[in-house]
Amino acid sequence: MKFRALMQDAMYMREFQAIVATLAKLAKDCVMILGDRQMHFIVNEDQSSAASPLVWATIAADEYFPEYRMEAARSDQEYIVLSMSSANLGRALSVLRGGGVSMCKLKLQRIQFPCISVIASVQSSSSSEAREVVHDVPVTIIPASDWAAYVVPRVPNSQLALSLPSLRLLRSLIDKLKNISPSLEFQASFDGELSVIAASEMSTVTSRFQKLLPRSLTVSQQEASCSVDSRKASAFFGALQLSNEELTIGIDQEHSIHLQIDVRQDVVLHSILPAVCV
Amino acid sequence: MEEASPYGDYKFVGRLDHVKTFNQAIKSICFNDYGMLQVSDDGLRITVEQGKSIQATLFMPPGAFKEFYVQDFQSFGLKMNVLSECLNLFGSADCSLRMMYRDQGDPLKIILYPYDDEDVSTECAIKTMDCEEPIDYDMNLKGSDLNVIFVRGPNLSKVFHELEKSAEEFEFVTSPDRPHFKITTVGIMQAVFSVEVAKTSPMMMMFNCKQTVVARYKSQQIRLTNKAMQVATKVAIKTNSIGLLELHLVMQGEGQEEIFVQFYIIPLLNAD
Repeated sequence: MKFRALMQDAMYMREFQAIVATLAKLAKDCVMILGDRQMHFIVNEDQSSAASPLVWATIAADEYFPEYRMEAARSDQEYIVLSMSSANLGRALSVLRGGGVSMCKLKLQRIQFPCISVIASVQSSSSSEAREVVHDVPVTIIPASDWAAYVVPRVPNSQLALSLPSLRLLRSLIDKLKNISPSLEFQASFDGELSVIAASEMSTVTSRFQKLLPRSLTVSQQEASCSVDSRKASAFFGALQLSNEELTIGIDQEHSIHLQIDVRQDVVLHSILPAVCV
Repeated sequence: MEEASPYGDYKFVGRLDHVKTFNQAIKSICFNDYGMLQVSDDGLRITVEQGKSIQATLFMPPGAFKEFYVQDFQSFGLKMNVLSECLNLFGSADCSLRMMYRDQGDPLKIILYPYDDEDVSTECAIKTMDCEEPIDYDMNLKGSDLNVIFVRGPNLSKVFHELEKSAEEFEFVTSPDRPHFKITTVGIMQAVFSVEVAKTSPMMMMFNCKQTVVARYKSQQIRLTNKAMQVATKVAIKTNSIGLLELHLVMQGEGQEEIFVQFYIIPLLNAD
């Protein structure tokens, strides 16, 4: 079993750090699935708090890593599956947030225990020589027999998906709306209007976002709506550390809401908010 | 046949270019759950009371609105924190606002349009209810024997800020003779702290006191005016011979339009 990957571009390193930091805000543990050409991170709905939604990120290896090598434990296996503390991984990568990092390596190794080593070469201002900052993040190797419990979630079949050019207003609105009602209803129409509705005994608050671009979908439907847990929605938006602003909201009628942020063409952050009964 | 109104069957429609000052004014009088909204040709009033000893009224004349339309006299009760929550939905982002009310039993609709994004709007439908008439203190503060002082808001806010926080009672003295205007706090240990403002002070805008009035108020009630005081540009302090106190605060909006907040505070009975 072998894994190593190398990053060199400062912007990619910051993005990678931001993705992991987002996950770290959502849950204590995360699952890392290393494939042949792709890396996945999954944070499950945290058992301890009902507020954390299911979020996962899929990263095409060749977007971020000029060098990427993965050898599974056995030649007939396609993955290495690891579980670790998302906070530890987040802390290890936080060095990438600052400037002056010329290179960062990720390496799976065994030092008494299995770990992902994050090795960053940091250029310091006082010396011409680079420092090497190493964090060993302990991981648990998930045996192939348990993989069934750790599959990358499938993107649900949304009947309608709208893309929102700016997250800022929606994000602060949802944060306020969660205090009004425990559930939020999302309504989308094919002509590009999204409404977010919070209803309480004393008031009904309807926020409208107009002139949104519908994403092309095979199923064409005029309208779709779904009610979700407002704390879950708020937890997702509150955790986001990416500077990317564009968000796609897909609605699977009365079933779930799929939130998608395309960091790059093949680097995508997803979340699913399941429907709640109102 | 009657001409169709552009307002449809709405009996009250008000539009504001900026939500900020209105929002601040509402926040400054949110010291009780329920408020009463009254609207007529004179303007809009929102009144909050606590017990029978303090009352606050936000008053906006039609001129404070960009657009103002009302049919007859409308009045209803509503929950103040719900109203405040709605005005705050976009946080610090500047919004214009439209208020609409149809008829008894219908909700008050408030629509916010943030300036940042013209394709976004939020409509709040706030449940309204029947309520009692607020107490009319104003009639006790008519007449020529009132002591009236106008001061600059920021200065007065600073004076109040410096007063002792733990004090239980405030004593106000207004007098044509020295010390003209004096506030004394009486703390738990009977510690006394006082501030005097002479009528010649630059913070005085107008001074008109005909008699000496000494009255005490619960500091807790005086402190309810803090939020309003912090954003007021001018404050009128009026008191009659028995010490009924009116603090009349002026807040200025972005377009120089003025919003008024009045507090009426009943004095404590004389202990000695």
